[in-house]
Amino acid sequence: MADSLTIRRVSASPDAFIPISALRSGGPTYAKLVDIGACIGCKGCEVACKEWNDLGVEPTANFGSYQSHRDLSPKTWLLMRFNEVEVDGNLNWLIKKDACLHCEDPGCLFSCPAPGAIVQYTNGIVDFNQESCIGCQYCVTGCPFDIPRFDASTRKVSKCNMCVDRVEAGLEPACVKTCPTNAISWGSKHDMLALADQKVETLQSRGYANAAVYNPAGVGGTHMMYVVPHGDRLADYSLPSDPTASPAPMTGLMFMKRLGAWMMGFGVLGALVHFLRYGPERLDEHGDHRDHGDGPAREAPSARLGGHDGHGDGPARQAPSA
Amino acid sequence: MAERLLTRFSFFERILHWVVGVTFVLLLATGLAFAYPALFWLTALLGGGPSARVLHPWVGVLFTAGMAAMIVVWFRDMFLSDSDRRWLRAVRAYATRDSANVPPAGKYNAGQKMFFWVQGALAVVFVASGVALWFPAAFGASFLQWMRLAHYLATLGGGLFLIVHVYLGTVAYPGTARAMIDGTVTERWARHHHPRWHEEQTRP
Ligand code: SF4
Ligand code: SF4
Repeated sequence: MADSLTIRRVSASPDAFIPISALRSGGPTYAKLVDIGACIGCKGCEVACKEWNDLGVEPTANFGSYQSHRDLSPKTWLLMRFNEVEVDGNLNWLIKKDACLHCEDPGCLFSCPAPGAIVQYTNGIVDFNQESCIGCQYCVTGCPFDIPRFDASTRKVSKCNMCVDRVEAGLEPACVKTCPTNAISWGSKHDMLALADQKVETLQSRGYANAAVYNPAGVGGTHMMYVVPHGDRLADYSLPSDPTASPAPMTGLMFMKRLGAWMMGFGVLGALVHFLRYGPERLDEHGDHRDHGDGPAREAPSARLGGHDGHGDGPARQAPSA
Repeated sequence: MAERLLTRFSFFERILHWVVGVTFVLLLATGLAFAYPALFWLTALLGGGPSARVLHPWVGVLFTAGMAAMIVVWFRDMFLSDSDRRWLRAVRAYATRDSANVPPAGKYNAGQKMFFWVQGALAVVFVASGVALWFPAAFGASFLQWMRLAHYLATLGGGLFLIVHVYLGTVAYPGTARAMIDGTVTERWARHHHPRWHEEQTRP
């Protein structure tokens, strides 16, 4: 297997949560840099994505936007979102290239209960392995960017895989290859960060004072980064300002699962110890404990009722309670 | 002389118990498989990962139906009385087989009644969170994450209760499990475990 496809993390395995610091073992990690300011909205990347990944056509309809589809789908892994926003009195398209960001700490992978259904390669690409997917859609819940899409007919999820098959062969992803304005760049994460800084500087010198790199720390950074001209309007780009790979309920769940495993283990152990100490209960013919036979008798109803034992007329009779 | 037997559970009650029991164990096993990768192989009980994911909610529907019927059938019997409250305070005596200090129980002792109410409450949590997780497209991500936590906590509670329930009902108290098999218990057993019920059943 080529170096680029060495596996770093596997969902639902002991390897899922290795701290990042332990993983910085060298080797190239790739990143895609999307310069939104240089995007002319041609949607060539959408087409290239469909073609390379053989995703098929989904009929589109005019819904009052320049955008091709309303949403991502199992067949549409990349969607240019044409957010129409007024900036300084002018209508602007704050375009977002909506696709998997290939998080360094992937919330989808952390959420997945199926061993091997989601893997992260050492090169930074997060990939779904449909063969192992059980269709629970927990990854959809775990992704802070709302990326994975569930196909109800196959009961599998899918999303952008950064053209992992091309990358493995030393090529750039199809969207990068096709972009006519070079708005999408491809290279090592290190180089792309440097390029991003350059681009931000250029933008700022041209009057975009709030230009910024989108590489959110809450998910450990991403392997698709954006340069946004209006860094102060992330919401208008439909970019979450503070995404996290481990939100409170998931952290709580992880903690409780650990604690719960111990509790259930001790539960079984406790029953065993109790059994060893007290053993199976043994009653004498009156229903008293053999070993307590002469204890300060519970007001043994047996004594009073002894006389009725001979009745034998069926037990089902109901008597009003005393 | 063969010992006289008392009927403890009707045929219908036993069917209900086992519908709930079998479905709960299946749900617990596959649920733990989803929670713990080391137990993922338990999904084989329902035909492997993808099919377990499809069937788990349907088994849950059966469980819910059984549980609902059970609650209706046993509801009135399960209210705690004053003597039950005394029993609960003496639970330590019960656990250590110090039967002289255990207040006499009726048809159900306070522990069984609590088991009933807690499992009933957990069932509500299971169903509410389970429906959300069954149809995730209808809900927001953060809400679903909380539902995962709630579903797990209910699983943990139900699992712990199951351990106690099975232990007490089988090896700890011989003669108990048959009440859920042929529906009967011996008089001796009844006199010891449920003296007030025994008295009602044998009063002329
Ligand atoms: S963007 Fe979503 S789907 Fe992509 S790696 Fe991050 S968490 Fe996973
Ligand atoms: S839907 Fe598939 S990939 Fe997503 S969390 Fe479930 S098993 Fe994992």
